[in-house]
Amino acid sequence: MRVNRALRVGLILALPIIIYFLIFFIYPLITLFQSAFTNTAGAYTLANFTNMLTDRVLKISLENTAFYFFGSVALEYSVGFGVAFLLYNYLGRLRSIFRTIIFLPLMVSPVVIGLMWLLLLNTNYGPIDYMIRLLGLPPVNWLGNLSLAMPSLIIANGWEYSPFVFLIIYAGLQMVPQQLYEAASVDGLTRFQTFRYITLPSIRASMIIAFLLNSIGVLKGFDLVYVLTNGGPGYSTYILSFYEYVVGFSFFETHYAAALAILFLIIIGAFVFVMLKFTSVEEYLGLRRLKE
Amino acid sequence: MKAMTVVVIILLTIVSLVYIFPIYWTLVTAVKTSLQIFTYPPIFFPTRFTLSNFYTAGNIFGAVSQTAVGSVPWMIDSTIVAIIATLASTFLIAAPAAYSLVRYIKSVWLGRLILFMTMIPEAVFMVPFFLIVVKINLLNTWWGLILVYISFTAPFATWLLMGFFNDIPKSVEEAAEIDGLSPYQIFYRISLRLVIPGIIAALILNFISCWNELLYALILTYSPFPAGAQTVPLFLTSFIIVEKSFAWGGLAAAGIFTMLPTIILGIYAQKYLARGLTMGAVKG
Repeated sequence: MRVNRALRVGLILALPIIIYFLIFFIYPLITLFQSAFTNTAGAYTLANFTNMLTDRVLKISLENTAFYFFGSVALEYSVGFGVAFLLYNYLGRLRSIFRTIIFLPLMVSPVVIGLMWLLLLNTNYGPIDYMIRLLGLPPVNWLGNLSLAMPSLIIANGWEYSPFVFLIIYAGLQMVPQQLYEAASVDGLTRFQTFRYITLPSIRASMIIAFLLNSIGVLKGFDLVYVLTNGGPGYSTYILSFYEYVVGFSFFETHYAAALAILFLIIIGAFVFVMLKFTSVEEYLGLRRLKE
Repeated sequence: MKAMTVVVIILLTIVSLVYIFPIYWTLVTAVKTSLQIFTYPPIFFPTRFTLSNFYTAGNIFGAVSQTAVGSVPWMIDSTIVAIIATLASTFLIAAPAAYSLVRYIKSVWLGRLILFMTMIPEAVFMVPFFLIVVKINLLNTWWGLILVYISFTAPFATWLLMGFFNDIPKSVEEAAEIDGLSPYQIFYRISLRLVIPGIIAALILNFISCWNELLYALILTYSPFPAGAQTVPLFLTSFIIVEKSFAWGGLAAAGIFTMLPTIILGIYAQKYLARGLTMGAVKG
């Protein structure tokens, strides 16, 4: 009886989220599949998916997304990790000042970040090109250049997200028990050995969570592209989310956009699945505690 | 050892400048005159300031556009949409659901589902939400945006509150049960009050993400208050598209001005920010 009563209470409390789940997840999902597998006349078709195979812009967008993803995550991870490590290991009282400063970008909205970088990257009056000219080099048209637009986006994205990686790694470092370091110094480990055998294993959880959440954040990206380059020049900064938006709401091909959304969902799903399957990320996020 | 510390301090100072400079540059651009902005070499430390960028429309070539102060209708939309979506998702959906998942249903699969839902990009549901909102005739209205925003505020708040409910010692609830409280009374009178820091975190972080949301607002609204429901990011993006090469002072001023509410909230909620931003991975 007790178990039944507990289940009933649980279900009543969960009722709103069950309704939510049906309205905001299942129903849109059905609508999504319905539009992806039909054409404008309403007939069922696979054309939206077969068209992807010959879609040159989709191919470019996927390549750009991969470049954007790996570039951003590599930049953000190395900067975030490096800064957290240096700050934690070499500084004492100054730590909190630097930490507050590195926190700042997290407070700025993505559209405003786009606006900031528009001002910074301007060729004629921007401060970055001014410094480049001081070094005697020719000014650079960052956002208008086919091969520089994407790296510029990655830099702006790195500014936005590296503090986020920093935050997680730094918190991880703070949680490493001091006794471990004391034991390491008693055993006469070198700095590198301490890093390799004490620090790294102890912050494994933070490293994996930082990677997961940072990756998802980068894959979600749309705002910076929309504000900074609007996909251009040419197709050089089309990423998947932006291309889908253009197909759906500039060309009004909602059926094809729906098919692209399914492709996007599969990519995100596969990524999250791999992370859950092959790392202990669930445990680190506290999911396993539900079983207790 | 000492030398290494000095090197690290220099290095971190350079890094800090990289983080501060874009914000600083936007601030000084907002208080420069047009002449000070469009000059070479650029002025890094202006000595004369103006506030005219906040209320004067940029009208080089006679094209009068928006001003920072003119963003008020968009701000009204953003505020109302963000407040209702945030309150409804936290109190009506997330809090009871999180409590149920942690104390009663305890399903790892449901936990995974909530986690996955927080990770789905807006672009995935862009088309279906557009079709649904058109179908129920709520295009360009507060309610259309509110309903769609609940799709991301609810799972996020649920996930966040699950962590906070988990931290409550079971003995507190057991004591309340012995005192004769029903499960609902325990939830409402005891547990919910113990997770108030979590609720504040969920409210503030969700408010900020609604305030900053661009993609859904872009496809679901087309005019500002009072006729429509366009939010602040749309004010900014359309301003940027028109004035990209001209009224930089006005643009910078608009960026700064529309950011104030979220900055103030962010500073107020600083101690919760870490835990919320990292999905509970970092205890704030």
